[in-house]
Amino acid sequence: MAFQPKITAFVCNWCTYTGADLAGTSRLQMAPEVRIIRLPCTGRIDPLFVIKAFERGADGVIVSGCHPADCHYNSGNYHARRRFAIFRDLLDFVGLDPRRVIFSWVSASEGGKWRDIVDSAAATIRELGPCRADTGDEGRGRLACAS
Amino acid sequence: MRVISDADLRGLAADLLAAGSTVWGPARVPGSPRPGVEYRPLREAAELDLGAGLPFLPLKQVFLPPTEPLFWWERKGTEVRLVPPAPPNRRVVVIGARPCDAAGADAMDRVMGWDYRDELWFARRDAATVVTVACERPADEACFCSDVGLGPSHPRGSDLLLIPHPGGYAVEEVTAKGRELVAAFPHRFREDEQVTPGETAAAGPPRIDLAGVQRWLADHFEDETWNEVALRCHGCGACASVCPACHCFDIVDEPDSLLAGTRRRNWDSCQTSRFTVHASGHNPREGQHARVRQRVVHKFQVFPRRFGRLLCTGCGRCTRACPAGQDLFEILTLVSERALETS
Amino acid sequence: MRELRELAVRLLETSDVQVVIGWEESRRGVRPAFAQTPAEAERLVFDQRCVHNLAAYLHPRRKHIRGLGRPAVVVKGCDARAVAGLIRDNQLRREDVVLIGVRCPGVWAENKAEGQPGNRRWAERCVSCPQRTPTLCDYLIGEDSPEPSGGPGLEAQVERIQALPMAERWAFWSSAFERCVRCYACREICPLCFCERCLADKSMPQWIESSPHRRGNLAWHLARALHLAGRCVGCGECERACPAGIPLSILNARLQQSVRERFEFVVSDDPVAPSPIGEFRVDDGQEFIR
Ligand code: SF4
Ligand code: SF4
Ligand code: SF4
Ligand code: SF4
Repeated sequence: MAFQPKITAFVCNWCTYTGADLAGTSRLQMAPEVRIIRLPCTGRIDPLFVIKAFERGADGVIVSGCHPADCHYNSGNYHARRRFAIFRDLLDFVGLDPRRVIFSWVSASEGGKWRDIVDSAAATIRELGPCRADTGDEGRGRLACAS
Repeated sequence: MRVISDADLRGLAADLLAAGSTVWGPARVPGSPRPGVEYRPLREAAELDLGAGLPFLPLKQVFLPPTEPLFWWERKGTEVRLVPPAPPNRRVVVIGARPCDAAGADAMDRVMGWDYRDELWFARRDAATVVTVACERPADEACFCSDVGLGPSHPRGSDLLLIPHPGGYAVEEVTAKGRELVAAFPHRFREDEQVTPGETAAAGPPRIDLAGVQRWLADHFEDETWNEVALRCHGCGACASVCPACHCFDIVDEPDSLLAGTRRRNWDSCQTSRFTVHASGHNPREGQHARVRQRVVHKFQVFPRRFGRLLCTGCGRCTRACPAGQDLFEILTLVSERALETS
Repeated sequence: MRELRELAVRLLETSDVQVVIGWEESRRGVRPAFAQTPAEAERLVFDQRCVHNLAAYLHPRRKHIRGLGRPAVVVKGCDARAVAGLIRDNQLRREDVVLIGVRCPGVWAENKAEGQPGNRRWAERCVSCPQRTPTLCDYLIGEDSPEPSGGPGLEAQVERIQALPMAERWAFWSSAFERCVRCYACREICPLCFCERCLADKSMPQWIESSPHRRGNLAWHLARALHLAGRCVGCGECERACPAGIPLSILNARLQQSVRERFEFVVSDDPVAPSPIGEFRVDDGQEFIR
């Protein structure tokens, strides 16, 4: 069976979630592999959420929120941008392909951009293949992520 | 006396690996900033490195891994199904254990088989044959095995004891398991009349009065000494991780979902503040002095009173590992002196 | 040594200092010492074996040290950066500590007695130390000395690993993380790991599995490194404390490089410079964002 990736999207309530909603109500066709988790703000998205998603079987993660200067809470996305910049450096350094973590700004009116992000994320992850490792002993423990 | 040459010992490791045994022995650790060797499961006999001294971490990981699944659970309707972990390899041989490590496992046997027989521990103990290499001299000034009733060629906990002589080792068969190993690979051993046992690695006379220590500990639970010696301790617990006799563990559930998960046990350490903290936030062992005291009293008074063995084999690892320069032998010397003063 | 001892005695006798935290000789090299009387202060030493970062004794979790009264602490360059971190993160008030700065010559890789093998190799961090002489101090003692050189500094190690192909980087770190036994000695000794309750100890929800298997270890190491980005002073204590021999300093150094390159932030002993992770600039780079 062809590899069907699991992709988790952590999105902010105000922009990207609404944008994704718009994509849906506009009946845009897009890759079906993405599961969305709605949070108040990208500033609330701890890199640990991403790690947890990988631990629990995700092959890729999207983090998306309001464009700069557009944050509902003024600066949450600026903080997130710093945090994710160093997080990507860290992932890259330990040899976890940072292409598995896709960061984007998608506003409430950008249904089309959301579709593009989803489609290209699915294509990238399909190409990278499954991301897995386990607990390392005879454990049945699922997942985690080795490149 | 029966002997084995350096080359044959390595050959024995190769034979065992070829026969499907898991072979543990001291080997280099690629990528570690620390030079020296650790006990590792060998991939090939060439990795065995017996000349690099005492491994920094103890042998206990062979019998009590840092983490191990106890069982998996799965819920279907009202039924709960438990799946035990796969049994360990039945044939495990440790080549090049040190006497302090072998004796540490022996001390742990007491507590693991006390009110409840720990199946996982004893399955691993029963499966393993421990071939110990006696120390020609103490590794450094941290060693004090001779002061706790053991010594650089003490056989406790070993199945075979190898005593070095030029080019090889004299072989002392300590247990039936050891004899079986020799019998299974006769071509690796030979008789040599010239070699006599026990002439290397003599134990020195003890420098501490253990009975005095035990007495003082029994009635100095509250004492200024504990505050003094605890000052520099960070409560990092490194001492417990490296100790061949420390065996405290934590049990955790790791759910995969609401309906399935794993129960595991993991190493733990009484030197950290979180070890005794209650769900309410209350911590009965508040303060580092209480934790340092716990470590010393458990090893030198409580455990020996209950099980007739010290919970310390004098390997000195805690002293070597301590990033704050805490020195167990020095603490024992201090206690020993205070015992003399108060007696 | 005279200078240090005289100062320590003077502080204990004439000012509001109840303990001088420094180093003393022991049977196995030098180690942290807590001089509470002038006689004890006469035992203090400082030389190239003083590898320990004594700032770790200043954070609020060291209740047994706080109980001794107002401390004076001997600080090298890296130690002063850690004290600055504690002040910056509101764990310590500047006026609650007296700082005895030493012009640090660099320290040896291992705290061993003179003449023992291994005691004449520079600690990696000292080869690339950004500032050996502290500016955050009340007193400054010792002599200037030439810069430590020789051996690959930490930066070189970071470059070496960064240059490996992705799969080899993963192989290197996963085999290192696999050795971790999750004792958290690295955290307990870190002067900047002062949280009363570490994220790794929380179980509702359990963000980081406490088991030392691959999954739990990966989460722990990524989280530990991230939480110290822009805060780690590069003292190397975590790596020194780690019983499993995991090269944590390289990981830390990589993230300090990251905050330097991306946010032009260098961890210094300036106690008011804001931490780069709590801050932002509107024009921060976002080449990775779509
Ligand atoms: S004695 Fe040393 S190793 Fe043990 S907890 Fe204290 S600082 Fe850590
Ligand atoms: S207490 Fe220290 S010296 Fe004794 S067995 Fe444990 S590590 Fe070795
Ligand atoms: S992370 Fe390590 S090097 Fe950095 S401040 Fe903490 S102990 Fe020092
Ligand atoms: S000190 Fe080392 S073994 Fe212990 S938790 Fe930290 S990295 Fe892991």
